[in-house]
Order: sequence, then structure tokens, then C-alpha cells
Amino acid sequence: MQLNLARTLQRSAANGPGERFVIWVQGCPLACPGCWNPDTWTAQPRMLRDTQDLTAEILATEGLTGVTFSGGEPFIQARALTAVAKEVRAAGLSVFIFTGFTRAELKSQAARALLAVTDVLVCGRYVASERVYDLPWRSSANQRVHFLTSRHGPADMTQAPEAEIRIGPDGQLTLTGLPGSKLLGSI
Amino acid sequence: MSAYITLMTPMTDEECLLAALADVGFDRTKVEVHVNPVRLMGYQVDRQIREANLVIRRQHVGSVYNDVGFLATPTGYQAFVSDDDPRFGAGWLELLNQQYQLHAEAKQQRMAEEERQHLEAARKKLVEAQRATICAKAKKLGYQVKETRAGDSIRLVLVKRTY
Repeated sequence: MQLNLARTLQRSAANGPGERFVIWVQGCPLACPGCWNPDTWTAQPRMLRDTQDLTAEILATEGLTGVTFSGGEPFIQARALTAVAKEVRAAGLSVFIFTGFTRAELKSQAARALLAVTDVLVCGRYVASERVYDLPWRSSANQRVHFLTSRHGPADMTQAPEAEIRIGPDGQLTLTGLPGSKLLGSI
Repeated sequence: MSAYITLMTPMTDEECLLAALADVGFDRTKVEVHVNPVRLMGYQVDRQIREANLVIRRQHVGSVYNDVGFLATPTGYQAFVSDDDPRFGAGWLELLNQQYQLHAEAKQQRMAEEERQHLEAARKKLVEAQRATICAKAKKLGYQVKETRAGDSIRLVLVKRTY
């Protein structure tokens, strides 16, 4: 099975609890105005990865707490992500998902199968007029955090990093997480 | 969704930046080069005095807009362009940066070993300056910064909130 991805990051502390392998999928039909990642909206093939290869890369990365699916819209590729999630959970990693859909909208069989192997779900459209800076893992006040298993809980939200900046060998900066506008502006 | 934003690779080399500017239509006859930064014209409205080392005056840009300038800083050239000029927005800077990177790579290929070592030292200095600048800004904004290194890359995790 193949996944259409925008990018991956082997290690991040600002995309859910602990150290996480982050997968930004390509393609999102929601296209929320003000989205961080509008380059991930089109469903045109960008970086096609075999689910087994991707799973092997995740499992070969040491010291991870879990895997985070972001995007793009993960539930558009629910079937392939379910395959990855099952494997990584069997290896002891947790699964965290950022989705633009509401919980009530995730009713399809494929969506339910992915939810069945998810530990934490952050859901709801990004609504620019409801932008917030003080809620962990959320960008707008309408979004909700659901702990679907006992693997993680509200205690994981304390001291959750807001953002993470990487400085590459050539000085290039990469910013991930949920950075506030002041931080973005200052950088 | 969580963000993944890649910012431009810093432009640090004057020769390569001048070559890149020429590629996008501003050859040396249109670019002033100053060892010490000079004042840019057209920024009086917001009462900020802006200075730059490389300057493209308004007559070459369009008289209704501000001068375009590039100020040399420890973290690379900082660009000043008119926010309201659609020709010189983020897309133009991205194109300029792409041309810059091409010239920088070509220059590195031409270099002798001693020059390469000099460039490597400058690169390390730039990365350290980036790190110090970001840490200072983040701390000023109230963040606690946790730093880790892997090879030549630096990771800064920013924590502010206590829920």
C-alpha cells in the first residue's frame, strides 16, 4: 500500500507527547483559510512511500514515544495510515493524529478503523477567527483533544512544547509545532 | 494541523548576492554597495530608519515604492522590501534566494582548499549566530529553550506554557 506524503520528520518534541516521528500527508479537501501548510492541500502525488518501508524507517528510529499523523488530512488516507499505525503500536509506540474533521464526521469504516488504533486525536477545522495560543496541541478554540486510550492523558499536555526550531548545517531554519504569531514574526 | 515551515537559507556572501540580484534584473549599475550601511529612502511613514549595505534605489524599483535594501547581519543579509509592492514580496525573495544558492554552490566548487576552510569556518559562525539570535528572541518572548545537537544540526525546543 502506498501513502502520498508531503514530508516526514524523524524526531520532534512539538507534535504531541514525547519524541515523535511525524508524518505530514499530502492532500486535504478542507483547505481551512489560514492553514499552516497550504502546500499540502493538493492531492497530486508528491512523495509516494510504501507503508512497509515507512514503518521500517519508523521502527529503526531509536528513542521514540510514538508517531504523529498531520498534514494535509490524514483521514483521506486512512486505510494506508491504519496499516502503519497497527505496526508501530504493536512495537509499543503511540499514535497521535491531527485532523481537520470533527469527531462526528469520522464515521466511515476506514475512519473508524484508524480511530481504533489511535491513542490521541486532535480534531476540528482551523478557524482563524478562533485562533488561540494557550491551548496545547490546538490552534483554534473549536478544536478538541480526545484521549482514546489510557496511553496518554491530560498530564501529557503540561509543559507541551509550543514549537521546535531546527537549524540546518547551512543555517536554514525549519519551524514545526504550533508556533504563535509573535514567535513567527520574530524569526 | 501542526506546522512545518521551512525558512530561506541565509544569504551571507556579497558576491553571490550581487550575482543573484543581476539574475533577477538588477545588475551592478543598479545596486549600490556600501561597507557601512546607509539609510534607505521611503521608510519615513512608519518613522523607522532603515539602513542597508546593498541598496537598489527607487528609480530602479518604481518611484511609488521604497528603496530595496539588504543589511549585512551576523545571521545573513536581512532584506527590506515594500510590503505593499506585489513585485518584491516573498516570491521574489524566494527566487532571489534560489539564484543565490546556485551562485554559492558554483563559488564553492571554484574555491581552493584554504578558501573552503575559510568558508566552513564562516558557516559554523553563521549557525552559531542563528542559534544565539533565536535563543535570545525566544527567551525574550518568555520561552524556555531546550537545545540538542545531532551532527551539524541544532534543535531548539521552545516551551512556554504551563497548564
